Amino acid sequence: MDTMNETIKQAPLLEARNLTKVYEDGVKALDNLDLQVLPGEIYAMLGGNGAGKTTTINIFLDFIQPTSGQAFINGINANEEPLEAKTNIAFVSENVQLYPNFTAIQNVDFFVRLGGRHNYSRSDYETALNRVGLQSQAFDKKLKDFSKGMRQKCGIAIAILKDSPAILLDEPTSGLDPKAGKEFIRLIGELRDEGKGILMSTHDIFRAKEIANHVGILNNGILVAQKTQAELKGVNLETLYVEYMAGYMDEAEPSLVNNLSEA
Amino acid sequence: MFKLIFIKELKEIIQSSRFTISFAVCSVLIIVSFFMGAQNYLASQAQYEATIQENKNQMAANSEWMMVQHTIMLPPQPLMALVNGISNDIGRNIEMSGRGELRPENTRFNDEPIFAIFRFMDLEFIFGVVLSLFAIIFAYDAINGEKVNGTLKLCFSNSVSRASFIGGKLAGSFIGLTVALLIPLLIGCAMLPLLGIHLNSDQWLRLGLILASGLAYFGLFLALAIGISAMTDRPSNSFLIGLVVWIFAVLIMPRASVLISGRMVEVPNVDQITAEKSRYRIQLFDEDRPKMADFSAPEGTEPQAVMQEFSKFMRELGDERNRKMEAFEERINEEYLNKRREQAKIALNLSRISPASVFTLASSQIAGTSLELQNRFMDSAKDYQKIYADFMNEKTGHTGSSGFRMIISTSDDDEEEEKTIDVNELPQFQYETASFTSSAANSILDLGLLMLFNLVFFGGAFAAFLKYDLR
Ligand SMILES: Nc1ncnc2c1ncn2[C@@H]1O[C@H](COP(=O)(O)OP(=O)(O)OP(=O)(O)O)[C@@H](O)[C@H]1O
Ligand SMILES: [Mg+2]
Repeated sequence: MDTMNETIKQAPLLEARNLTKVYEDGVKALDNLDLQVLPGEIYAMLGGNGAGKTTTINIFLDFIQPTSGQAFINGINANEEPLEAKTNIAFVSENVQLYPNFTAIQNVDFFVRLGGRHNYSRSDYETALNRVGLQSQAFDKKLKDFSKGMRQKCGIAIAILKDSPAILLDEPTSGLDPKAGKEFIRLIGELRDEGKGILMSTHDIFRAKEIANHVGILNNGILVAQKTQAELKGVNLETLYVEYMAGYMDEAEPSLVNNLSEA
Repeated sequence: MFKLIFIKELKEIIQSSRFTISFAVCSVLIIVSFFMGAQNYLASQAQYEATIQENKNQMAANSEWMMVQHTIMLPPQPLMALVNGISNDIGRNIEMSGRGELRPENTRFNDEPIFAIFRFMDLEFIFGVVLSLFAIIFAYDAINGEKVNGTLKLCFSNSVSRASFIGGKLAGSFIGLTVALLIPLLIGCAMLPLLGIHLNSDQWLRLGLILASGLAYFGLFLALAIGISAMTDRPSNSFLIGLVVWIFAVLIMPRASVLISGRMVEVPNVDQITAEKSRYRIQLFDEDRPKMADFSAPEGTEPQAVMQEFSKFMRELGDERNRKMEAFEERINEEYLNKRREQAKIALNLSRISPASVFTLASSQIAGTSLELQNRFMDSAKDYQKIYADFMNEKTGHTGSSGFRMIISTSDDDEEEEKTIDVNELPQFQYETASFTSSAANSILDLGLLMLFNLVFFGGAFAAFLKYDLR
């Protein structure tokens, strides 16, 4: 596989080209973002609160339209042919919410069918739920009794069963305990090894360094740094990150002072 | 996709505790309403028969047709008990007289004033108030609830079109809830024969149409609530808006329309009319007074002849005054009625902005308990009045009129045997209900409006969701 990756230039599964988003209130959330996620790759987007991570993911999901630039999923423009594009993607949000009155199996069944997979049996669902580490006695429990970790597990099970080439994850490990977070990351690694292209936003720099093939640091909607795993070897990512964040703070400070003096 | 969402919606409805609780409450209310309607009808029927019998017995005790006091009564009908309309508010009894005004008396609420305060729990109330509120409570967070939940985002991370999502949602909740409501409604219908109420095919047809329009009315509130939830971000907001809209549509607008139309058309009240009539009577008398003073008999007539001449003169004057008075009364009553009809028409048309009034009008028209009930009853009574007058004329030489009657018994009668009368000779009063086709034709505007409201609200909810921010 590795040798193939090196010899044949693969088409990216996820691609942002000059992606810019200015919200109605004038906030520039994304500024000419360029990124590519190839099959079998994890791309970790780092960045502080309000850096534009969720905005990027929302554009891929066609929840918002970019002001300019394009987002492609498996080569399909996500905002021009969203229905077609979304057949190639699975999404796990930072806080997976399912139908509270449905059981885990019912929820998985509904969302997997919604994702266009109709030929699974109950045992397939059970296998997937086992794989993500949900205890089997929870399979037929209603979701309203689930903890956040259990819901995240269901979310990733749905993504696994949907079996789409690309996966979008918006801070999937936030709020998980360390053990659950670690398990989650292991699962994502497995999916990557199956050849999925994964774009993940996160605040967790250590995990990002550990697992990601590419790390991008977003600051105020601008991709200020982009490093491969190889480039990060020996680099203290934390220091790097803080440096960029510091730059951001320096930039932000004058306007902050202005605002204060105006008030 | 549509089918999947439709089925999910059905399952979600059935599995929610909100549904279990509200469905249980509604089912009990619906069944109770059928039961009480049936009991009410049976009670009214018994009372009706007793009153008719009592009246017959009283009449039979008389020896002269001239002495007879005949009361006709509006026969109760099963549908009246299920959709009360105005049936409890209008007088059911009319004391018959061969001529003059007929006055319906003795309303149901007159008998049992407590019900006037709380009204009955008929089907119109169940649909109009309870189920419409149930629709709002049920669907106020249909869309924004999923957004707050996060399920909306997860759904739309798949290849799902907005149209199939909202379509499945609207169809799923409408069909899920109406089928659920049909269960207690059908149980209620099945109970009627068991409770001793046997509807004929015409009445079943009407009941079916009432239930269908009730479900259509329920559906439009459901679509309204879903539409509101597709225009707001938070369930607490949409609940508040839904409730306010409901209060206006169900409680305020129907009443306001009556008040507004009252301002638009001045109608004198009954006391003013009575006052006007008595003013005219006095005026007529005043006009005749100089003539009376001028009366003089030719010279040299016998005093007895003078007396006879005078009473003849007075009778002629009195008859003339009565004739004028009657003409005046007829005109003033006609004017009054016309104004009232105009006022009612404006009120009804204004109230039709509200789906609640539209449903009330449609269901009461189909049940035969709309405003038309009173007119029909009065028309039937007036028709009967002619028959009654002819009958009395034949029997007594007078048109039997209630009020003052002078009975002159001549001496030759004394020798005869005490006569009795056969009350069965008296023609029966028949109340003709409107035919199904004419009731349906009368309600066609309101049924059409119900459909239109449905179309608008379902379309509105659909359109609102196409523009909804999914994040
Ligand atoms: N609907 C909106 N309207 C206006 N501005 C918005 C909107 N959504 C986000 N923003 C702004 O866009 C910027 C980027 O927001 P975004 O949610 O993409 O950040 P993020 O990187 O996901 O942050 P976090 O780590 O807190 O999730 C922020 O400044 C935010 O205030
Ligand atoms: Mg975010």
